[in-house]
Amino acid sequence: MAKSDDCVHILQGLLVFGNVVIGMCGIALTAECIYVVSNPHGAYPLLRATENSDIHAAAWIGIFVGLALFALSILGIIAVIKASRTLLLVYIILMIITFAFEMASCITAATHQDSLTPNVFLKQMLERYQKSDPNNNSDNEVTKTWDELMRQNHCCGVNGPSDWQEYTSAFRVTHSDADYPWPRACCVLDAKGLPVNLDGCKLGVSGYYNSNGCYDAMSGPVNAHAWGVAWFGFAILCWTFCVLLGTMFYWSGIEY
Amino acid sequence: TRTTLTTLTMLPLLLLLLPAAHGIAQVGPPPALAKKQLEWVTTATTFVLDQPRCVFRDYGNAVIWLVVAQDKDAFNNSAGPGTPETAFQSFPESVSAYMTLNATLGSYPCPKPAGEITVLRVGSETSCTKDVSRPTCNGPLPGPGPYWVKFLALEGSVPVAETVWSEPIMLRTAKSPNSLPAAGSGHSAGMIAITAILSILLAILLAALVATLVFCGSESCGSSTFSKPESVTVRRYNTHHVYDQPAARL
Repeated sequence: MAKSDDCVHILQGLLVFGNVVIGMCGIALTAECIYVVSNPHGAYPLLRATENSDIHAAAWIGIFVGLALFALSILGIIAVIKASRTLLLVYIILMIITFAFEMASCITAATHQDSLTPNVFLKQMLERYQKSDPNNNSDNEVTKTWDELMRQNHCCGVNGPSDWQEYTSAFRVTHSDADYPWPRACCVLDAKGLPVNLDGCKLGVSGYYNSNGCYDAMSGPVNAHAWGVAWFGFAILCWTFCVLLGTMFYWSGIEY
Repeated sequence: TRTTLTTLTMLPLLLLLLPAAHGIAQVGPPPALAKKQLEWVTTATTFVLDQPRCVFRDYGNAVIWLVVAQDKDAFNNSAGPGTPETAFQSFPESVSAYMTLNATLGSYPCPKPAGEITVLRVGSETSCTKDVSRPTCNGPLPGPGPYWVKFLALEGSVPVAETVWSEPIMLRTAKSPNSLPAAGSGHSAGMIAITAILSILLAILLAALVATLVFCGSESCGSSTFSKPESVTVRRYNTHHVYDQPAARL
């Protein structure tokens, strides 16, 4: 009898511990998703222009799921200690609903990360950079974002200056190939923002132009955000799964 | 004898020189793209040649011109630069070749100093493309080519030396961005793993919930390990109530 008592106590202890971990992870998830939402990386306007800001949807869901997990974990601790059937049933059902939402958020974040190939950015850059339509705000944003990206990260294009030579672009329509084999932002600029050696830049002499592409600089933060939301959420869900199974087992053993 | 000998030797030499005096000396290596100096030697409308260093050494008085042709056989060396027959603005519709980038030997000192990039960019002047008053404009090439080039040294208006024609030069053609594959069609292993595993976990949870409700919903679950400690817990509740009731009575 004492042994069965101990079993119950151990199970209760484990469930309480499991819920404490869920509560803390919920807070961490909320904090991380608030960070992702409020801290857009430099390339975020480009993502918005591709109409692909799923990572934000995933992060917003993550914020609410995190808070829900925290609240439910407190409910779970109370329910386990009180060994109350109704409270535990409510807890289990609400947790499964939260599980489903968090699952949606994880899958969205993982899919979003997959869809951001270099070609997506390349096509957008070629079609919209320096497109001479002053009425279109989102094109101007694309131009401004790319100029800043190229200046700050000392890079050119998505894969390199060859992007501007291999493909026709909106930029090429207004800027002749002889004068602008690639945009001026691809040149090494001095403190005033003028090319250090314009002829050297046009000729492609290393040291006077940026010969590497911007994709690495862009994809780093994008991937970090997506992986943070997706994989951390996945880990929480695996733990929650175990706790919920244990809770159901415990619930089935409680007498009325 | 010496004189006879010299006259005899002079005669064949004179015979050899006579045709040369009417022709042009062929010098140096043919013009070539500056591949050894630069990475970007062609764009869509320009190309970059090595400067003709140490090629026209013997022609200090000459002006060295670059001839760019789409049909090398049609070019006549006696055509003068700056005339309508060699004007850039009429190329390639009316004329098959134009002359540009004139320089004296002083611009091409020999030998080439090490570490310097000595190139000629053909097609870099965009301001005079339509300006007929500048027929020797070094304007952007009108199409992908192929083009042949050679250097021609003129003293006054007399051609004195030339290089052979270069290899045909093809410029780049750009593709349309529509040829890029459609956006994000691949699915990584990570995303598939997450989706699959989470779906399975959710399914198990729902199944377990349904099973628990069905089997244990109305009645207590009889055969679980808690059944023995159940009686113990009931007793504990009883003792709890036993203690409570006397307290309530009081």
